[in-house]
Amino acid sequence: MGRKTTVQSLNEALHLVMEAHPEVYCLGEDIGKMGGDFSVTRGLYAKFGAERVRDTPLSESAIIGAAVGSAMVGMRPVAEIMIADFTSTCYDQIVNNAAKMYYMFNGQFKAPIVIRTATGGGFGGGPHHSQSVEGWFMNVPGLVIVAPSNPYDAKGLLISSILDDNPILFLEHKGLYALKGEVPDEFYTVPIGQAAVTRPGKDITVVTSMKMVHEALAAAETLAGEGIELEVIDLRTLRPWDQKTVLDSVRKTKRAIVAMEAPRTGGPASEVSAVISEMLFSTLVAPVQRIGALDAPIPMAPVLENAILPERRDIIKAAQELMAYR
Amino acid sequence: MRTLSKETILKLYKDMLLVRDFEQQLEQVHKRGLIPGLLHTGVGQEATFAALAYALEKTDCFFPDHRSHGICLLAGSPGEKLMAEILGKANGVCGGRGGSMHLADPSVGNFGGNVVEGSMMATVLGPALAWKMRGEKRVAAVIIGDGTVGRGEFNESLHLASIWKLPVFYCLVNNQYAISTHVTEAHPTANLSELVTGYRIATGQVDGNDIVAATQAALDAVDYIRSGKGAFFLEFHTYRWAGIFSGEIRDPEEVRMWKEDKDPIRRARTLILTEGMAQESELVETETSVKKQVSQWLEYAIQSPAPDAATALDYVYANMEVLGRWEEKQQFNR
Repeated sequence: MGRKTTVQSLNEALHLVMEAHPEVYCLGEDIGKMGGDFSVTRGLYAKFGAERVRDTPLSESAIIGAAVGSAMVGMRPVAEIMIADFTSTCYDQIVNNAAKMYYMFNGQFKAPIVIRTATGGGFGGGPHHSQSVEGWFMNVPGLVIVAPSNPYDAKGLLISSILDDNPILFLEHKGLYALKGEVPDEFYTVPIGQAAVTRPGKDITVVTSMKMVHEALAAAETLAGEGIELEVIDLRTLRPWDQKTVLDSVRKTKRAIVAMEAPRTGGPASEVSAVISEMLFSTLVAPVQRIGALDAPIPMAPVLENAILPERRDIIKAAQELMAYR
Repeated sequence: MRTLSKETILKLYKDMLLVRDFEQQLEQVHKRGLIPGLLHTGVGQEATFAALAYALEKTDCFFPDHRSHGICLLAGSPGEKLMAEILGKANGVCGGRGGSMHLADPSVGNFGGNVVEGSMMATVLGPALAWKMRGEKRVAAVIIGDGTVGRGEFNESLHLASIWKLPVFYCLVNNQYAISTHVTEAHPTANLSELVTGYRIATGQVDGNDIVAATQAALDAVDYIRSGKGAFFLEFHTYRWAGIFSGEIRDPEEVRMWKEDKDPIRRARTLILTEGMAQESELVETETSVKKQVSQWLEYAIQSPAPDAATALDYVYANMEVLGRWEEKQQFNR
């Protein structure tokens, strides 16, 4: 046990799984000697060698294709796509190949691959290094999307993902890489598909994920001073997401905000909001509020970027408006 | 180069007949509306399929393209199960989920068709990489068409196969047309294997309608790959007859030439009779028995039951735990 960053906890997960499972290997750009652009694969090359920690050229489609094909014969690849925006270059392999394989071949082949990728904005990365891509993948049957918000979950969810038999898009928010938390040294798992109630409260349910979990917690702290209690739910898995935990909470609070960094249109916030509205229409005392990035690419200049990305003040404002409904 | 025995040539002749009858009988039922979706047949390309199926071992794998029923059949999948799949039946090789373009059967090394043409060039790297890492001397083949060389995956795949020295068998079936576009209209050369040389991967070209030459070339390529030298790119020059969904208007003289002078089955038949490998009566007997066999498969497929609609959500996820939380709930909600 000890305080570790998200990067350290992800790194520890990879070390532990690769030690225990010879069929696990990593591939991606600069993941070998260099240890990855964000140091998540640091030390793996020295310990496991170039065969199991494979540097690749800038061939994202071939990276995912090779991962899928090797998974068909019993390997468990962990592919790194350096930046989530780049998943567009291997989108076909992910959605047409990995995600459909088990179904279209009637269960004869599985594609147990993990695609790790650094997502999200807030660091001046500009339009090709900052996007939240969840919406691109939310309506892909067969794909699992995992999105941890803290070091403990990051480790446990990465281990679960590598050992799961489905193709998994594993989102690592860049703004959380340096976040520290208590993380056990040993091997443990966090279940896929289960949300966590991060802060209990009776007035408004806030469904969120990744970096926005922390914005929601900060908003909850502020609102507590005004006598408004937020119940913060960290989805942890975006697809399939934990409807039960969310709906149970909203049955209690009767008000809901869905706060995601992805753009509102066609994104995870829209999906969760729609299900709450469909399932609990008569329970709700107010319309479900969606909070997300404005519908624009993510600009580089901090002033512009801040104008596009959602944050705690958006949650506070929405909460105050929701409490006006009786 | 290996010499093919008389028995081998006679077997390959029968294999080609199987493919042709399989395809032509399917074309007939497609016209009758018994095939729910698309049908792309490989009539005219039988020698290429027979050569590839002969050269690969059961422990190897291949990724077929949309026109590769022939190799799926000759690799050893039951003909009736393939036909049932193409007709969208429950007892097809993929339970009717895949259809004509997504035939898969791991028991014979058929790793399934992905018909975003060329995408399989990325996927084929996977088994090749895994087998190389595990020290297994197996060959991973991918069947692609001439149009496919325009895909980005063409380059990405050759790139990785070269630097990692992977046991990949690139089988380019250059049948000259990508739907309506002739190979000379879309590519810098009609000999597409020329595009590969910069990747330092061994290449070859062969008359894909000459069963003996095509088989020898395929065997040589597989030997090369299995010896650990890396990938091999073999281009089969052939022609698809204007079958269903051919989508183009052809020069009638061109079609006549390929159907008559260059038909791989006619050529093999002439060879067999000229060399005295069999009597004409024996060939006629084979031809009749193959037709009957294929008709029985087709009848089985036609009589087979459709899938149960209640199973439409099966196999979305590979473990029930996830399925239970998501798709089952959706089904329940409906």
